[in-house]
Amino acid sequence: MVILRTEELTYQYSIGTPFEKTAVDHVNLEIEEGTFVGVIGSTGSGKSTLMQHFNGLLKPTSGHIYIKDKDIWSDKNNLRDLRFQVGLVFQYPEYQLFEETVYRDIAFGPLNMGLTENEVRERVYEAAAFVKLTEEQLEKSPFSLSGGQKRRAAIAGVMAMCPSVLILDEPTAGLDPMGREEILAEIKNYHKKTGCTVMLVSHSMEDVSRYADKLLVMNKGKMFCYDDTKEVFKRAEELQKMGLAVPEVTRICIELKNRGIPLDDSIYTVDEAVKQILEFYKSKNGGEVLC
Amino acid sequence: MSIQLSAEHLSFYYTDENGNRTSGDVLKDISLEIEKGSFVAVLGHNGSGKSTLARVFNGILVPTSGKVFANGLYTSDDENIYEIRRHVGMVFQNPDNQIVATIVEDDIAFGPENLGLPSEEIRDRVDEALNAVDMYDYRFHAPSQLSGGQKQRVAIAGIIAMRPDCIILDEPTAMLDPKGRSEVMKTIHMLREIYGITVLLITHYMDEAVEADRVIVIDDGKVIIDNSPENVFTKPELLQAVGLDVPQSTELLWRLKNLGVPVSVNAINEETCVDTLMKLLVK
Amino acid sequence: MLKDITIGQYFPGNSFLHRLDPRFKIVMTLMYIVMLFMGNEIYSLIFGMVYCATAFFLSKLPIKLFGKNIKPLLPILLMTAILDIIFIREGTVYFQLGIFKLTEDGVFTAVRMIVRIIFLIIGSSLLTYTTSPIQLTDAIERLLSPLKKLHFPVHSFAMMMTIALRFIPTLMDETDKIIAAQKARGAGFDSPKLKDKAKALVPVLIPLFVSSFRRAEELATAMECRCYRGDVGRTKMKIMKAGMNDIISFIFTLIMLCAAITVVVLF
Repeated sequence: MVILRTEELTYQYSIGTPFEKTAVDHVNLEIEEGTFVGVIGSTGSGKSTLMQHFNGLLKPTSGHIYIKDKDIWSDKNNLRDLRFQVGLVFQYPEYQLFEETVYRDIAFGPLNMGLTENEVRERVYEAAAFVKLTEEQLEKSPFSLSGGQKRRAAIAGVMAMCPSVLILDEPTAGLDPMGREEILAEIKNYHKKTGCTVMLVSHSMEDVSRYADKLLVMNKGKMFCYDDTKEVFKRAEELQKMGLAVPEVTRICIELKNRGIPLDDSIYTVDEAVKQILEFYKSKNGGEVLC
Repeated sequence: MSIQLSAEHLSFYYTDENGNRTSGDVLKDISLEIEKGSFVAVLGHNGSGKSTLARVFNGILVPTSGKVFANGLYTSDDENIYEIRRHVGMVFQNPDNQIVATIVEDDIAFGPENLGLPSEEIRDRVDEALNAVDMYDYRFHAPSQLSGGQKQRVAIAGIIAMRPDCIILDEPTAMLDPKGRSEVMKTIHMLREIYGITVLLITHYMDEAVEADRVIVIDDGKVIIDNSPENVFTKPELLQAVGLDVPQSTELLWRLKNLGVPVSVNAINEETCVDTLMKLLVK
Repeated sequence: MLKDITIGQYFPGNSFLHRLDPRFKIVMTLMYIVMLFMGNEIYSLIFGMVYCATAFFLSKLPIKLFGKNIKPLLPILLMTAILDIIFIREGTVYFQLGIFKLTEDGVFTAVRMIVRIIFLIIGSSLLTYTTSPIQLTDAIERLLSPLKKLHFPVHSFAMMMTIALRFIPTLMDETDKIIAAQKARGAGFDSPKLKDKAKALVPVLIPLFVSSFRRAEELATAMECRCYRGDVGRTKMKIMKAGMNDIISFIFTLIMLCAAITVVVLF
């Protein structure tokens, strides 16, 4: 089933002034339910602006957005419900924490949905489990947590609303490699367990390519492509020209290929590179590996 | 070569206003010497103590035991602090929270103004610093009109205009996008070329540390590795054990070697990795 | 949104008015305000109006800018005028309906008030439009420097203003972001009930305070690292020097003010 669809979606700001800019330019997109979508593009490509349209925070200048085949702007009164269906985690979400305890902060969204005490409690515990926050941590003040824990508490606050689509804008920004790894694994696990649609916005193609089924590439407000991760990486050289940092291993494999080594044209993980180089090496040395 | 920064049996823990201890040992018995003119990268995951180390070298924090010297000046002596800060500049993570003035050139002038220099000299230094970080065309802009990478370059220019011998950068690229990161790294390299300034770069990005002369890895308040980048990044087990990445080129070669492929694991960047693989595959 | 406010904004330029010494500009603005608010007759306003028009001509700014500034004030102006007309009952009666009397004095006062407020806004906007905030605070610091003898913290005061100006756009941006983030969690900004709206402010204000304190702390450290010690041994890159233009403008302003005073006193 198509969960999210846009039709000629366009967003302009500062219309009528010298600063007029088209941030999102006629985007036509269809996302199947349950897909893990990686959204990439350089700063100013319109990717964050596009995401804010999906839960009605921004109103398109023209065009339409359909969630479950319903035009979200057809009835303004439904906008609040829409925000519970499409959860949006902003960049540096730890700056939105405000409650006395982590528990109450995570409960903020579910309470706004009008759920009962018991339902709220269930959801808070479930979300906390996804981001690996302990029961003891739930009773602490969010401001006493470490940077990485704060980030995870804030993400849990959106997960607890059980949205059908979870959008995360740069959830790993500013974290160290271990912190990045943990959060990405938790998001992947959430995706697997709940089966909901996840959209992960990131500058890091390394992060996105390991987890996403499909990639949406934005460039200068336009949708450059939306395709399977493997297909997108076939155009790695075009992506580089756009100013996107493709993984180091991809660049190495492109260079090897240019120098005549017959490798696949879309390698984006070290695993895949090791496998292919090893195969080629074996075939050259008659199956023998050890020297 | 003379010594820019040094620590002797440095330990540190945080205290509250009354001097009561509020944390465990953040730095544990560190002894280090940083030579003048060198480019040293300090790696470590969040909470390893690497940012605390940066602050100790600049005198923002003073050691709870042991001694730290910056430019030969003892940092625990309050009278030296002003002199230390003239010589050891500091750039922080959040570009927004270190820009004071509402216009780029006025902000760069802030440091030299505090040094009490004559106004013509301040003007010269500001123009030079603006050119050094390639922000001259933006000198009349407001900070809010700049990108993260540009703001960070302004912050660097603000330090350069004070003509320090050493610049400590505390995760200057952590909040930037890839474009901003490469802008800032380019600027840092250029400063080394132009001024021969000592650079201490605190980071958790391996690709930034690869370009240094020397890499120090900190874990749990202790120095666990202190070596050249070639020697550090060719030991992936060690780095992974303390929660750090290795460059993908190193990882690729390392894993091939572990599978029995006779390949040398000495590449820490793309070009050497490609060359190494070509030698292996085309014989 | 919050960003559309133009009062207090600076429009870089190189006009006669832009180039004037900010200290003189502040003093002349004050003299202009005196000119505008002196006397009770309509003709006493003429000096201020002429002065303002001259300054505007010298600023080379588009007139549209000022219109934008006055527009949001229209309801207030209208209210003032209506109140004046209703409550001032002296003078020749033009028109009467029950207890409502439209009198000459009422109409005069209303017109005078409106003209004064509009010209006050245009005049003071001219100052901020042509002077960068940092120049303004610098000038204020220097104008107030005699107060240092009375132990008034002039430098700290000016530094506070600079930092406030520097962080207003940053904090506005941040407020917009926090509001969006809390909206995404269903905070009741869209609710028509006032009580819900007030409640929705808590999740915005707390994070904003927390982040402002964090910023303040980081900024203080960064400033110290750049050898800041208050105004101890501090010099400035931009030295303010009064030139011929400043002196001529000042004399012109003084003559206008004296003329206005003479007219008000004599007639």
